[in-house]
Amino acid sequence: MAAGYVIVGWNRFKRAYDGVLLAGLAAFLAAHAGAGILLAPAGQHPSEVQLLIRASGAAAFSLLTIILCIGPLARLTPRVLPVLYNRRHLGVACFAAALVHGGLVVLWYHGFSEVNAFVSLLISNPRYGSFGGFPFESLGALALLILFVMAATSHDFWNHVLGPRLWKWIHMSVYAAYGLLVGHVMLGAVQGEKGLAQAALAGGSALLVAGLHIVAGQLERRRDRAVDGPPEGEGWLDAGPAEAIPDGRAVILVPPMGERIAVFRDGAKVYAVANACRHQGGPLGEGRILDGCIVCPWHGFQYRPEDGCSPPPFTEKIPTYRTRITGGWVFVEPSPQPPGTPIAPSIAGEAG
Amino acid sequence: MADDPFFVGWRGELAGPTRRGLLAAGAGLVAGAGALGLGLGAAAPHPGPGVWDQGRKVAVTGTIYPEPYLHLLTEDLGNGLRPVFLVGAGKDRISVRPALTFTGAAVTGTLIQRGEHAMMAVEGIYPDPAPGRLRPGPETDLGDAVMTGEILDAKCWFGAMRPGHGKTHKACAALCARGGLPLAFGETGRCGDGKAALLFLNERGRAFGPGVWPLVADPVMVRGRIFEVAGLRQVRVKLADVTRL
Repeated sequence: MAAGYVIVGWNRFKRAYDGVLLAGLAAFLAAHAGAGILLAPAGQHPSEVQLLIRASGAAAFSLLTIILCIGPLARLTPRVLPVLYNRRHLGVACFAAALVHGGLVVLWYHGFSEVNAFVSLLISNPRYGSFGGFPFESLGALALLILFVMAATSHDFWNHVLGPRLWKWIHMSVYAAYGLLVGHVMLGAVQGEKGLAQAALAGGSALLVAGLHIVAGQLERRRDRAVDGPPEGEGWLDAGPAEAIPDGRAVILVPPMGERIAVFRDGAKVYAVANACRHQGGPLGEGRILDGCIVCPWHGFQYRPEDGCSPPPFTEKIPTYRTRITGGWVFVEPSPQPPGTPIAPSIAGEAG
Repeated sequence: MADDPFFVGWRGELAGPTRRGLLAAGAGLVAGAGALGLGLGAAAPHPGPGVWDQGRKVAVTGTIYPEPYLHLLTEDLGNGLRPVFLVGAGKDRISVRPALTFTGAAVTGTLIQRGEHAMMAVEGIYPDPAPGRLRPGPETDLGDAVMTGEILDAKCWFGAMRPGHGKTHKACAALCARGGLPLAFGETGRCGDGKAALLFLNERGRAFGPGVWPLVADPVMVRGRIFEVAGLRQVRVKLADVTRL
């Protein structure tokens, strides 16, 4: 979505983002493979295909770790939001690296035989009941399948076709993919010749991702509690004094039942809308009002505060909430209006 | 708006501090990615000195024996009489006309070598009376042994793949074993050092059947007897005496 209400194409920022991504990926692969060749005793380096298998696998795992750190980091500091904006490009690059890794493994280790490569995948190590002998490759294959579904549906076209709820559910499976990959790397390292250092690195990455999510979650809960006052007599939620809401920004309420509510102030006008963006569930309450529209901090989706509708030609709608101001204090009716319902703003400074 | 720190991606413009921060982060990311790749690549284990020079065709003469694995007994490679195992380009055994066995033959192809071990990816086999019928000589019984290590697919360990051992190579080793390629035994800690592996045979000195396939590339303990034939050591083991660790 764009300021001129036209579909966004490639801009300088996107090109720079992808340039850095490709440069980083190339640096990683070149350094990984280069170290494998140059630091090995003469004539003892791994074969080129096996170097690429190692490097692409490590790149995919590292990329996915970075991807999963971006979300909580963006909650901790808005400086990370520009990185989150095109995070899907990282996801597609991660899938590409994983596909190279998995494809070469199938070709190299399961190919060149009269046995079909995909049959070989199933029969080469059937010890699913053993920890020490468990075919760790199967965990990687499952993760690759999930990453494929995510990469294939990453475009907003699929968000529109599948609906944001199903789309989000599909893309939350990235955590399952990451869990499988951590198992794939750790089990492979423990069983194989690479030893405990690699397993510790994978485990440390998983702890980092989990730790960041816990910290971001705690921060959000603290923010929620700070504005979650006791309901007024009629059940309306207390959003605090109107002047405590920064101009053009919002506070976020957590009703006893239902979804979070973003309460915005635009000059003297106070509006309340659902906190979840219709696009990917981004936290609208952490966004701001620009050019008269609420702008989601994740991908810049816009909504008019007075009716929760995206400006034409876009058609996204979010629920709105009734508000009122009593003695300078903002109250919000906890039950939402249907998405796109116009609600007149409450005016700060008017007698309540 | 250029100084507004709130980021809106579709605008394509960044506030000064945000732009400077992102430039620094981008440069740091590329440098960090290189450093991480370097560290991980440097930490990867080395596969050992096996070589398969597929660009150098050779012709080796000697006598072909079909058991325990198809091999050519030759004096062409130095170090006296020694066996060169004969395989195809992939993971399956090759067949040879009976008329070409137990008699002089010339084999063309590419050599797969690791230390004193040799194998040939065969392109052609022709009658050649010149070497005559070379014989392996008597076998030497070197006594009982208990060893821990890994059942290797010899082709990959000799140099067809680098690395050609370990858990990540298990699927390939299983295919090579299934395809009838020679199996070897590498003691723990020596799989990657290029030292000798022993030809891995059953208690009758023959190739194993399907019972051994699930055990390849796993850490195992074997209790068997060691022999030396034509300069190559063998360990002969009952399948029941192979214990997965």
